[in-house]
Amino acid sequence: MRYFLRRLGFFLVTLWAAVTLNFLIPRLQPGDPAEAIVSRLAGQSQAVDPAQVEAVRKMLGTPDGNLLQQYGDYLSAVVAGDFGVSYTYFPYTVTHMIGQGLLWTVILVGVTQVVSFAVGTLLGAWAAYRRNSRVDSVITLGSTFVGTLPFFWLALLLIYVFAIGLKWFPEGGGYGGGSNPGWNWLFISDAFQHSVLPAMALLIVGPIGSIMGMRNNMVQTLGEDYARLARAKGLSRRRIALTYGARIAILPNVTGFAMALGGLLGGTLLVETIFNYPGLGRMMLEAVSSHDYPLMQALFLYITIGTLLANVLADMLYGVLDPRVRREEAV
Amino acid sequence: MTILLPTSSAGDTEGTEVRVIEAARMSRVPGWLVILWRNGKCRIGLLMLLVFVLVAVTAPLIAPYSPREDAFAGALGPSADHWLGTTARGEDVFSQLVHGARTSLVVGLVAGTLSTAIALAVGLTAGYLRGIVDEVLSFFTNLVLVVPVLPLMVTLAAYVPVKGLGLIVVVISITGWAHGARIKRSQIITLRTRDYITAAKFAGDSTARIIVREIMPNMTSLIVVGFMGACLGAIGGEAGLAFLGLGDPQTVSWGTMLNQANTGGAMLTGQWAWLVAPGVAFASLMTALTLVNFGVDALSNPHLREN
Amino acid sequence: MALLEVRDLSVTYSPRDAAAVRAVEGVSLTIDDGEFVGLLGESGCGKSTLGSAVLRLLEKPAAVTGGSVVFDGVDITAAGEDEIRPLRWAKISTVFQSSMNSLNPVITVEAQFADTFAAHPGCLPPDVDARQRAVDLLEMVELDAGVLRRYPHELSGGMKQRVALALALALSPRFVLLDEPTTGLDVVVQRAILDRLRALQSEFGFAVLFISHDLGTVMEMADRVMVMYAGEIVEDQPAEAMMSRQLHPYTQGLLGSYADPRDAELGVDYVPGRPPNLADPPAGCRFASRCQVAVDDCSTVHPELLPATSGAARCLLVERAGGTPVDAELSGRFVAARPATLDEKPVLAVRDVAKHYRVRRRGGHTVKQAVEGVSFELRPGRVTALVGQSGSGKTTLARLITGIEQPTAGTVSFTPSDGSALDVGRLRGRRLRAYHRHAQLVFQDPFGALNPTRTLAYALTRPLRNHLGLSPGAARQRAGELLETVGLSPAAQYLDKLPHQLSGGQRQRVVVARALAPEPTLLVADEPISMLDVSIRAEIIQLLDGLVRDLGIAMLYITHDLLSARLLADEVLVLKEGRVVEEGPTLQVIRHAEHAYTKLLLDSIPNPRTGSTRRNSRAGGTAGLPAAPVIRG
Repeated sequence: MRYFLRRLGFFLVTLWAAVTLNFLIPRLQPGDPAEAIVSRLAGQSQAVDPAQVEAVRKMLGTPDGNLLQQYGDYLSAVVAGDFGVSYTYFPYTVTHMIGQGLLWTVILVGVTQVVSFAVGTLLGAWAAYRRNSRVDSVITLGSTFVGTLPFFWLALLLIYVFAIGLKWFPEGGGYGGGSNPGWNWLFISDAFQHSVLPAMALLIVGPIGSIMGMRNNMVQTLGEDYARLARAKGLSRRRIALTYGARIAILPNVTGFAMALGGLLGGTLLVETIFNYPGLGRMMLEAVSSHDYPLMQALFLYITIGTLLANVLADMLYGVLDPRVRREEAV
Repeated sequence: MTILLPTSSAGDTEGTEVRVIEAARMSRVPGWLVILWRNGKCRIGLLMLLVFVLVAVTAPLIAPYSPREDAFAGALGPSADHWLGTTARGEDVFSQLVHGARTSLVVGLVAGTLSTAIALAVGLTAGYLRGIVDEVLSFFTNLVLVVPVLPLMVTLAAYVPVKGLGLIVVVISITGWAHGARIKRSQIITLRTRDYITAAKFAGDSTARIIVREIMPNMTSLIVVGFMGACLGAIGGEAGLAFLGLGDPQTVSWGTMLNQANTGGAMLTGQWAWLVAPGVAFASLMTALTLVNFGVDALSNPHLREN
Repeated sequence: MALLEVRDLSVTYSPRDAAAVRAVEGVSLTIDDGEFVGLLGESGCGKSTLGSAVLRLLEKPAAVTGGSVVFDGVDITAAGEDEIRPLRWAKISTVFQSSMNSLNPVITVEAQFADTFAAHPGCLPPDVDARQRAVDLLEMVELDAGVLRRYPHELSGGMKQRVALALALALSPRFVLLDEPTTGLDVVVQRAILDRLRALQSEFGFAVLFISHDLGTVMEMADRVMVMYAGEIVEDQPAEAMMSRQLHPYTQGLLGSYADPRDAELGVDYVPGRPPNLADPPAGCRFASRCQVAVDDCSTVHPELLPATSGAARCLLVERAGGTPVDAELSGRFVAARPATLDEKPVLAVRDVAKHYRVRRRGGHTVKQAVEGVSFELRPGRVTALVGQSGSGKTTLARLITGIEQPTAGTVSFTPSDGSALDVGRLRGRRLRAYHRHAQLVFQDPFGALNPTRTLAYALTRPLRNHLGLSPGAARQRAGELLETVGLSPAAQYLDKLPHQLSGGQRQRVVVARALAPEPTLLVADEPISMLDVSIRAEIIQLLDGLVRDLGIAMLYITHDLLSARLLADEVLVLKEGRVVEEGPTLQVIRHAEHAYTKLLLDSIPNPRTGSTRRNSRAGGTAGLPAAPVIRG
């Protein structure tokens, strides 16, 4: 139990640190950050709405305002889920905008992450089971090679070949003009059609970390004394590979799962932009290019919290899977 | 966030270092380079890397035009004058490609060095001093590790008014050191309990001297591994940021080329060369570095050594 | 027909980036049903590789390169894995060297039994419940049924080894290979496991190949002993016969290194030198370079393992003497002799010292009393031995004395001959560093005590430059002299070497030289010989003994090994759970132990002589020769 409480404690402290980081980043620049942003907005040849200036002020405080005071206000606003008003989608609130994109990204990332992990772990285990064979070389060299390809470039090639060339899938967007968002068959199949290429782009690169991690861990565990003893005991090769190899080798990979999520979320930034997919990643990029700071900051916080949550879940799972974590308690 | 996780490259590296020193004694070249050269895959990687370095250094001689010279007809396909065609704005794609190698290598080298230096400083301090210093530094390391890198880069880049290569290098360095720091920390924790460290204390050596003269020599291969990894990450990060349009549009890099190819409609006009060439160049550079890394990894981790 | 028959077996390691090494060379041996055979050899002699080959567990880059292993009529080296699998565990089982790591860490003990039974469905009678069988097996090794629910990390080292033994007997095998089964365990735990093993073996009658470097355990346990050196079997004799008359000069050296610490007078032998490099073995006898009686032919003619008056030996001289032993005329012999020393004033006084650690436990902290109420004094030119099991607080005391840690209560005071007393527990920073000029440490592990990336000259000049303030040139010269002092001569040949170019014994000499460099008054030696091969241990003891007496150094000798304490120390302190339970002059404590714990420690030492009485009683006094007086040791 102690292990789980400690993990939870770490999560809370990290969460606080992430929130604070988010508070500090815009204030790192010299001078009055709010003024700088307002002037930059003004320089963008667009009329600055007084309400926008108000929103900036609300987010970044007045120059003479006490930093600690600002921090307190900020924290209570975050706890209340109030991130202010979006500049670009004025007068919508940031929270509303994030609500628009959240589900898209959660589904895209969730599915690709789980599939990547499953496929990667299986391929890695297979390579380790047949280590130094042709299968092993194909899997390891193949994933190494794919890993060197720039991932956004792969996405561009996918569009070039499958959308523009073969016209099998739409070039981008989340759904076509003919369907209306909602739980109806037309929309779901349409959204699925649109998500195939972005998902493929993520899935080509996604499993590589799991493959290499799993293979190397498992090759190592299969070389340990307990695996040798299992051989001496006359256990079948498959049984050894499962209980003495994969069962133990998967543990570090579970933690790798959460780490990979961070990478994947970074990947969605690229993929959603390229495919014009209506998720949080594209929204973030748009927020950046239109200097919509409240939206950008909130998105960064959401993405970070998402990764943190995944990490905590992975750690919990690790605690369930590995009896040895309880060792910490004994010391 | 991990506990009990045996980081693959953070084992006992002393055996490796002895081989490194032995190899260095035989020749004037650094020992780790000699050992890397002996590994077949790694040798190919080193040769490929050498080609990239040569191209980057002699870019103005190799490139037929200035990369930003836009005096040509736009959106041309490959021809004898323009081997890879021209961009929508009428620049020579091949010249841009050659100059792009410079950007990638400079970013890799500088950001790789910077983040390795940060990783080394944090890892060594945390691992050697332990206690509260370690707790704090490890917490920051773990924090940076879980914060998704690209969104953080994007956020940081968005606030800085001056766009340029320098910014990208700084952003990549301060987001990319955590993994290396953690590996170095766990390595130094194994090393610091060695009897020879106690012996050095009994011999009257100072802490600084112990770290530099007793511990560091046992970590050179790990530092090389970390540096290679940081270079890979930095080159990838630069390309990603540039592709997202967050870099300086005036800098010629493979990332900006792809960005401009994408926004310039290379796909619709069928200019495959403009689209494919930067990707292939990038992939080859990454392959070269990965191949070198293979050798370094096998060098520092006996479990992965080929047999 | 023999149960196990190894014919002319060779095993070669062919690593990719180094020269091929023939770890096992032309080994032939047989083991009969129910026989208990010992395989004795020092580190790197190929005994574990031979064991792996017999079990067919060799992995790349090692491979059988000649000969065969036939078990119960099946050629193990030639058969396919599927043909061997039914044999495994049902007939041949094993206990590995490091049982710390031979149980699967993520499944319970019960599951480890269950998958063994599941892999051999026919081996368990249908009316026997697998769980009940596991409980019975654990009972055999004196563990209760509760262990079944535990994970390996929840068990102590001794318990894990018992589980491994129970597991090995699960399917009532005919042959069990034990590879260093008690190495790394405490003497007392080792004693219990060996006794259990002996009882089980006579009850069930399985054959055993017992591989170990520990002469005492092998000679005590085995009916017949084979000695391995540099990849070859050099001698094979019944244990009785070997105890009384060793054929091969190497075996004579090995057995000479053993003695019973309770003997009235004792001395031990050692064999100078190191085994040959197996990547490039010598043409003649592999032991020739270390052999005192070698003749010219020994370096050119490779001897065969030939029958002798009793057993067999691989020695040209034995062969020429018609199979009778030759006298090895061992050059190194260390005799325990305690000259009466003047009662000098103590340099170090430990008074009522205690050290407590806070240990984190479920729901709070508990205090562990590592050391409690210990007092003693160290005098120049005298050795005090601190004896105890692991966890008894020996190393904590060493840390307190050298000022690395501070006592919770009591004082450690150091009085140099020319100064006033220092309170060691209060020294920090520069003053602690200054204290280390007087108090130095000799480490246990010769492989960990020298930085692998630094030359010997570097290691030796650091204390000289820091503590004595010598110039670089003078320090290097002095470093050379120190190497000569510890017997590494000519020094110029060694100064620029890296530690890995030296043997374990040579490294330990360098460690001693480094400790001597600042001309200390006090030397703390923490198990300085326990990681060394038995044949060279006495050599280091002799070195330490000479230095202490000649230089008038006060030494604290920390050990779990009573024999070396007897050889080296003037006084002995027996430590149990942080407290001194018995102390006094060495001879008195060891020969006339009063405390039950000291007696337990003494009784736990493997004893070849009890082995011989056991064997005689079991065989009705007919097997082997009568226990003759021991020639040497």
